[in-house]
Amino acid sequence: MKTTRSTAPAPTAQDEYTVDVFTVVNGAPVQWRVDTRTTLLEALRDSSGLTGTKRGCDQGACGACTVHVDGARVVSCLMLAAQVDGRQVTTVEGLIDEEGRLHPLQEAFVRHDAFQCGFCTPGQLMSAVCLLREGRAGSDAEIREYMSGNLCRCGAYDNIVAAVREAAGGGA
Amino acid sequence: MTATKPDLGTWVGKGIDRVDGPHKVTGTAPYASDVTLPGMVHAVVVTSTVGAGTITKIDTSALLTLPGVRAVFTHENFPRLNPSPDVLFGEAPTAPLQDGRITFHGQEVALVVADTSQEATEAARLIEITYAAEAPLLDPAAGQPEPLPLSPDTSRGDTEAGWAAADVRIGATYRTPENTNNPLGLMGCVAAWDGDHLEIHDTTQGTIALRKTLAAMFGVPESGVRVRVPYLGGGFGAGLNQWPYKLLAAGAARELGRPVKLMLTRPQMFRLVGHRPDTEQQVRLGATRDGTLTMIEHRATVLSSIDFLAVGLITSGTGHLYACPNVATVERTVRLNRRYPTSMRAPGEAEGNWAIETAMDELAYELGMDPLELRLRNLATDLDPASGKPWSSNGVIECCRVGAELFGWSRRDPRPSSMREGDLLLGWGMAAAGFFAYLPMSQARVTVYADGTAAVRSAATDIGTGTYTVITQLAADLLGLHPQQVDCRLGDSDMPASAQSGGSGLASSLSNAVIDAVSHLQGELLTLAGADSPLHGLGPDDVVCRDGALCRRDDPSVRVPIADLLAGQGLVEMSGDGRLRPPDAAAAGMVHAGAYGARFVEVAIDPMIGRLRVRRVVSVTDGGRILNRKLARSQILGATVGGIGQALFEDTLTDPGTGRVANGTFGDYLVAVSADVPDVEVVFVGEPDRYTPSGTKGIGEIGLVGVAAAIGNAVHHATGRRMRDLPITVDQLMM
Repeated sequence: MKTTRSTAPAPTAQDEYTVDVFTVVNGAPVQWRVDTRTTLLEALRDSSGLTGTKRGCDQGACGACTVHVDGARVVSCLMLAAQVDGRQVTTVEGLIDEEGRLHPLQEAFVRHDAFQCGFCTPGQLMSAVCLLREGRAGSDAEIREYMSGNLCRCGAYDNIVAAVREAAGGGA
Repeated sequence: MTATKPDLGTWVGKGIDRVDGPHKVTGTAPYASDVTLPGMVHAVVVTSTVGAGTITKIDTSALLTLPGVRAVFTHENFPRLNPSPDVLFGEAPTAPLQDGRITFHGQEVALVVADTSQEATEAARLIEITYAAEAPLLDPAAGQPEPLPLSPDTSRGDTEAGWAAADVRIGATYRTPENTNNPLGLMGCVAAWDGDHLEIHDTTQGTIALRKTLAAMFGVPESGVRVRVPYLGGGFGAGLNQWPYKLLAAGAARELGRPVKLMLTRPQMFRLVGHRPDTEQQVRLGATRDGTLTMIEHRATVLSSIDFLAVGLITSGTGHLYACPNVATVERTVRLNRRYPTSMRAPGEAEGNWAIETAMDELAYELGMDPLELRLRNLATDLDPASGKPWSSNGVIECCRVGAELFGWSRRDPRPSSMREGDLLLGWGMAAAGFFAYLPMSQARVTVYADGTAAVRSAATDIGTGTYTVITQLAADLLGLHPQQVDCRLGDSDMPASAQSGGSGLASSLSNAVIDAVSHLQGELLTLAGADSPLHGLGPDDVVCRDGALCRRDDPSVRVPIADLLAGQGLVEMSGDGRLRPPDAAAAGMVHAGAYGARFVEVAIDPMIGRLRVRRVVSVTDGGRILNRKLARSQILGATVGGIGQALFEDTLTDPGTGRVANGTFGDYLVAVSADVPDVEVVFVGEPDRYTPSGTKGIGEIGLVGVAAAIGNAVHHATGRRMRDLPITVDQLMM
């Protein structure tokens, strides 16, 4: 998916600390009235109740908060909520289809035991979905390189690689 | 102790998918950080900017005028708490905000509570604190060594005589740095009071231990405190202690009459929830010319904080792995103005094994002997060399042999720098490993329902190891059901009490409690069988549950549907409570063995730029009965990653002037990422352990033990340079 900048006007400031944000999350229009300092991560979790996206460091270093903005992976802790005004956001909650079926990568993660505590998993999945789209699953080494922005402290890396490899082979 | 061995084998051992997998991949598994309660306010911890001294003034008046700020707690207004009760593994950290004393840089000094986390964070940044700072005590040599309660000195034989009798001797000093547990899940909690009742959603590894501490320190009945941890974003030991942040949140919630959410930041995770402390270790080994060990001496110093001692256990395994008649271990700690230490994955063994298994490699080279042969000659597999009693099981030799075969060890040219691939130097190294047996108490309740389904309940936490799944499999076998008919719920202190997930003790502890619970359940069901029942007069172990019926064990065709038994008394369910029933150690005539392992590693080093890659790992483990092959493999894989991190990256640096953590972020503190990890070959060997009916051993930690030493020994093989200080970094490898 191509990344496009919003042509919408700048978000409307209510007062010094409040801003209205109009965005689309997992295909549904959403309006947030949030503190101007609110990150995309916080808006998703606190304003929309989409707690699947995790906070692991708040410094863009662990990847647990990875979501898609206009189809590209971003760490949502380093993006202000106001920056997604007029843009499309996809979170882990948006990976299942209309019938509630798991995305092939989600199934592969379960089958290959590609997680343990599960805390980094939503971010791993969101990175992996983009990695497949970007055509970066050509080899295990390439998968490892392009998944290395997502830390897994339980150490499930080998199983994550296996899951991504399988999903890539399946034409996902 | 249950008299009859349980019938396991239909589901136990199978590599079924995690039962909580769908929740984890859809983001619907609720962690403490995901909890929101009506009226909840947000708390942010303020930490000290000096490493020692006293607070002389905190000015909070300006903060209270900021938008959304509801309260600022300091030592001047935070409620006084009762002393901490005894806790697992030694002392408890002192209660927070009771006085103005500062014992380490980054200590809790205030708590700001506001309507939103942004408002609380902003206010916390503006707080003004004045200190009477003192020079922090940071040099171990200037501290006072003291013994560690959990790591007493040990001695057998005569080490000086063993030293004198040796043909070959080595002695060296080994160091391991501070490592920080850093589970991906930031630790924190949501605390809410209703009168004297407290409910807390937390990131503890032990719900019952936290309940005890909260009840005692707030002076409320333990029966009214509920700790909930259905999911836990890792811990690796950081969730074992009753850290001050939990008391801060609970205290603030009580004072304000509102639920309080407190989540630590990543930098705070380096200071407020423990770490694997630094060690310095001296090892002396002596051997006769044929490689028989004549003495082992292991001295360790581990660093502690002023108010909270390290666990230690650095030397505790040393006297048990090798059959050597003369062994002495000495372990001391020094209290410094450093942050709290705690257990981190494979506590003690991670550090101690580095020293001992590196020293064994050094001894092998001094002897001119294959390092594998030196291990095989000395490993103690039949008797525990400390007590002289037989092990309940010990597969360490099999681990070594199987690993060597799979790795191709016989093709190794032992000469340093002898194996090359183009410009790269290859190194092959190995290490043996053990992890102590630990069997804490757990209880569980097993319930059967009229519709043929069953439930298991326990307060235990699944830290990510797969407790939900393996307990489901075990109960399915014991009850003769499909795992989908068994509902396992954990992580709630209102359920039967359980040990923490830690010390590699939970799987054995809880699975034996479940076995006992099913036996009691069968006994309860038999009380429903009237005089005309074909099961009348049988004992609890004469029957088994199969497919929703209670059956004669020796003739399963004699069966009564559980639904009929229940309906006869107007019941809709029946439960059996069970607990671990450890065997009487003396009567058992054996020593409870922990898990064992052997690690074989290939590294490739580019000598021009000092780049080291771990290319191959073969990891063999004796884990007793394996409850789920897929999940067990994941435990070893993950621990291998932890071992690679310990060997090559992890190093929490302390500024020598101030005592501040100098690299306390994920940007600066390096951990192993996907690209650092090769494909790891994981193999299990050994038999079900004889000590308990489940036959299990803990496998959460053993996989890490030996990885660092095998890597260090491989580096020596590649380069001829002996690695004695972790982590192994580029500057040590440049040629």
